[in-house]
Amino acid sequence: MKNTQNSLGTYLKTHWKTVVFLIVVLIGIGIADQMVNSFVRRLLNLSAIYTIVALSMNLINGFTGQFSLGQAGFMAIGAYTVAIFTVPVGLRATIFYMAPMAPFLANIQLPFVVALLLGGVLTTIVAFLIGAPCLRLRGDYLAIATLGFSEIIRIVFTNTQTITNGALGIKSIPTISSLWWTFGTAIIIIIACFLLISSSYGRAFKSIREDEIAAEAMGVGLFKTKMTSFLISAFFTGIGGGLYAALLGTVDPKQFYFTLTYNFVLIIVLGGMGSISGTIISSFIVTLGQEALRFLDEPMAFGLDLPIFKPGLRMVVFSFLLMVVVLFYRKGLMGTNELTWDFIGQKYQSIKARFTKKAASTQGGDK
Amino acid sequence: MKKALSLLLCLALVATMTAGCSGSSSKSDSDVIKVGVFEPLTGANASGGELELEGVQLANKARPEVLGKKVELVTADNKSDKAEATTAAARLIEKDKVCAILGSWGSSLSMAAGDLVKSNKVPAIALSATNPQVTLGNDYYFRVCFLDPFQGTVMANYAAKTLGAKKVAIVQEVSNDYSVGLAKFFTDAFTKLTGDSSAIVATGNYNTGDQDFNGILTNIKATNPDVIFAPGNYTESALLIKQARALGITCPIIGGDTWETNEFITVGGADVEGAVMSTFFDDTNPPTEAGKTMVTAYKAEYPDRANVPAVTALGYDGYMLLLDAIERAGSADPQAIRDALAQTKDFEGATGMITINENGDAEKDGAIIKVVKDGKFTYLDNVTITK
Repeated sequence: MKNTQNSLGTYLKTHWKTVVFLIVVLIGIGIADQMVNSFVRRLLNLSAIYTIVALSMNLINGFTGQFSLGQAGFMAIGAYTVAIFTVPVGLRATIFYMAPMAPFLANIQLPFVVALLLGGVLTTIVAFLIGAPCLRLRGDYLAIATLGFSEIIRIVFTNTQTITNGALGIKSIPTISSLWWTFGTAIIIIIACFLLISSSYGRAFKSIREDEIAAEAMGVGLFKTKMTSFLISAFFTGIGGGLYAALLGTVDPKQFYFTLTYNFVLIIVLGGMGSISGTIISSFIVTLGQEALRFLDEPMAFGLDLPIFKPGLRMVVFSFLLMVVVLFYRKGLMGTNELTWDFIGQKYQSIKARFTKKAASTQGGDK
Repeated sequence: MKKALSLLLCLALVATMTAGCSGSSSKSDSDVIKVGVFEPLTGANASGGELELEGVQLANKARPEVLGKKVELVTADNKSDKAEATTAAARLIEKDKVCAILGSWGSSLSMAAGDLVKSNKVPAIALSATNPQVTLGNDYYFRVCFLDPFQGTVMANYAAKTLGAKKVAIVQEVSNDYSVGLAKFFTDAFTKLTGDSSAIVATGNYNTGDQDFNGILTNIKATNPDVIFAPGNYTESALLIKQARALGITCPIIGGDTWETNEFITVGGADVEGAVMSTFFDDTNPPTEAGKTMVTAYKAEYPDRANVPAVTALGYDGYMLLLDAIERAGSADPQAIRDALAQTKDFEGATGMITINENGDAEKDGAIIKVVKDGKFTYLDNVTITK
C-alpha cells in the first residue's frame, strides 16, 4: 500500500506539469461545454472524432509501418452498429418503409455506450478476418486488402436492405451534443495510445516499422505484433465511427466512400507519421481550418465583388496551405516527435538562442 | 532566409484564419432578414445545387424585400458531404442567425441537417429532395416538390394507362436512395393498377458509376417486357438506354426527373430519342401566372440557356413560399414562420398550386411528362392523379 502511494507520489512529482495540463484541459472542456453555441460545439465534436480515427490510423500506419487504408470501412461498421441498435424501436417501421427490418433485430435496442462498444468489438472481429491472411505477408498487401474491404463493406451495406435499410440509410439516431462523449473518449484513447507506445509493445511496433528483419532477429513476433496493432487500431476506429453516427444522427453507405479514408491519411501525414500529439494538432487544424476559410466562398469577402470568391475557393486555398506546410515540414508538423515538456523547452531555448544571436550579430554589425 | 519565409507563411495562415473568424459578423442585423441557402456547390452534386441556387437568386431579385426589410441570402456550401452538411447548417443557424433555410439538393444531405433545424427550431424548406424521410417526423422541415411515392405512381399510371403495358421490367441504381425509392413505389402502384402481382417481370440492380449493363439487359430481354422503368442517375441511365437499343430492345424506356439534364442527351445521343420521364415543371407550358413570370425572368437573366431546369423553378418556389410565410407571420421570428408555413394553403407557385399537408409536404396533384424529341426535352402530357 505504502509502495503504491510512494510511486504515485513520485509520478506526480515527475509529471506534475502533465497532470496540471490535463486538469486544465478538462476544466476547459467543462467550460466550453456550457458556453459555446452548437456550431462551435459541432466543430469541436467533429475534431475530437477525427482525432480518434486519425490516431488509430496512425497507430498502424505511422507507428507499426503497415499501410492500412480501411478506415472508412471500419468506421462504417461502428457507425452502423450504433445506428441499428440505438434507433428507437417505435420509429423503425417508418424508417424501414421499403422493407421491414429483419425480425431478429427489429426489437433490440441497446444503450448508447453498449452499442458503441459493440461496434468496436464487431470492427475488431472483422479486422481479425482481414488481418489474419494479410499480415502474414510483407509489403503492400494490407493496403490493397483493406482498401478493397472498405469498398466491399459499403456495397454490402447498400444491399442488406432489411438490416441497414440499403441506400436509404438510417435516420433519427439519438444524437449526442455534449462535448464529454467525444472528448472523453478521445482523451481515454490518447492516453491509451500513449501508454501503449511507451510500453514494450510500442517499442516492438516501432522496431517493425524501422526494419522487419532486424525486428524478427531481435525476437519480435512479426505477425502477432502487427496483429495487435491492427486490431487495437480497428477497435478505436469502430468507436470513432459510432460517435460519428451519433453526432450526425443519420448514416448511409455513401458517407463511407474510400475518400473518407484519405481525410485521415491527410491528417496523419500533416501531423507526422508516428506522432500522437502531431495527429491531435492536425486533426484540429484540418477540421477547424476548412471551416475558418469559409469566408473565401462568400462573394463579398473583402467588400469587393471579385469573381474568384465563389464556392470552392476555400478548398483551393486550403490545399495550397497544406502544400506549403508539407514543403517546409517534410515529415509533417511534428515528425516523429511528441509535444512533451522537454520538446517545448528545447524549442523555446533554440528560438531564444536564435534571437539573442541575431541581436548580437546586428550589434556586431553596427560597430 | 528559409526559416524566415516559413515563419512568414505560418503567420499568413494564422492571419487568414482569424480574419475568417471575425470578418463576417459585424453587420447590423435589425433591418435585414437573413435567409440561409444550404446547397452542394462543390463536390459530386455541385451541378444540382448550382441550379437550385440560381432559382433562389432569381426569386430574390424578383422580390428582394418583405415586411419593408431587405432579404439577404447567406449561402453555405455543404460540399456534397454529410458531415460538412451538418456543420454548414449549424453555421447558418448559429453564426449567421438565419430565420429560415432553403435546401438542400439531395435528400440525404437534407436529412443530415434535419436534426439541427428541429432542435434549433429554425424552419427549413427542401426544394427538390423527394425522399419521404426528409420531412417525416420533423415539424420544421417542409418541401415544395412532390415525393417519390407520388412520382412512382405517376409513372405507373403512365405505363399502365397511356402505354397499355402489362409487363414491366425495372432497372434500379441500388446505391441511390432516390432510384430505389422510386422503383419501390412504381412497383406498388403498378401491381395495384394491373391487379397482377407478377406484373414486374424482371428487376436489375446496378451501382453508381457502372458502365456495362449488358448482363442486366440480356436478362430483361429474355422476359420481353412492354416497358422498362429505369430511374437513376442521368449518365448511367443514358448508357443503359444506348446498350439496350444496341441489344435490340425496342420497348419504351421511362424514368424519373433526374434524367432532365443536358448530359442525358449528350451521352445518349440518338438512342435516347423517345425516352419518357416525369418532371416538376415545363417552361413552355407553365401551370400558373407565377410560372409565366418566372420563365420570363429566367429568360431575361440567362438568355443563352435553352430551357428552365425544373429544380431552378423549385428553388424559385421555395423562396417565394418562404417570403409569403414571413409576410403572413408578420415577423421574421423562426417559430412564427414555421407556423405560417404549416398553414400554407393554395399558394401560387411557379410549379403549381402548393398546399402544405400535416407532414410538411407540398400536396401536388399533377406531374409533367416529358419526352426526348429531336434532341430536346419536349412536353408530352400532364398526368393528374386523384387520390
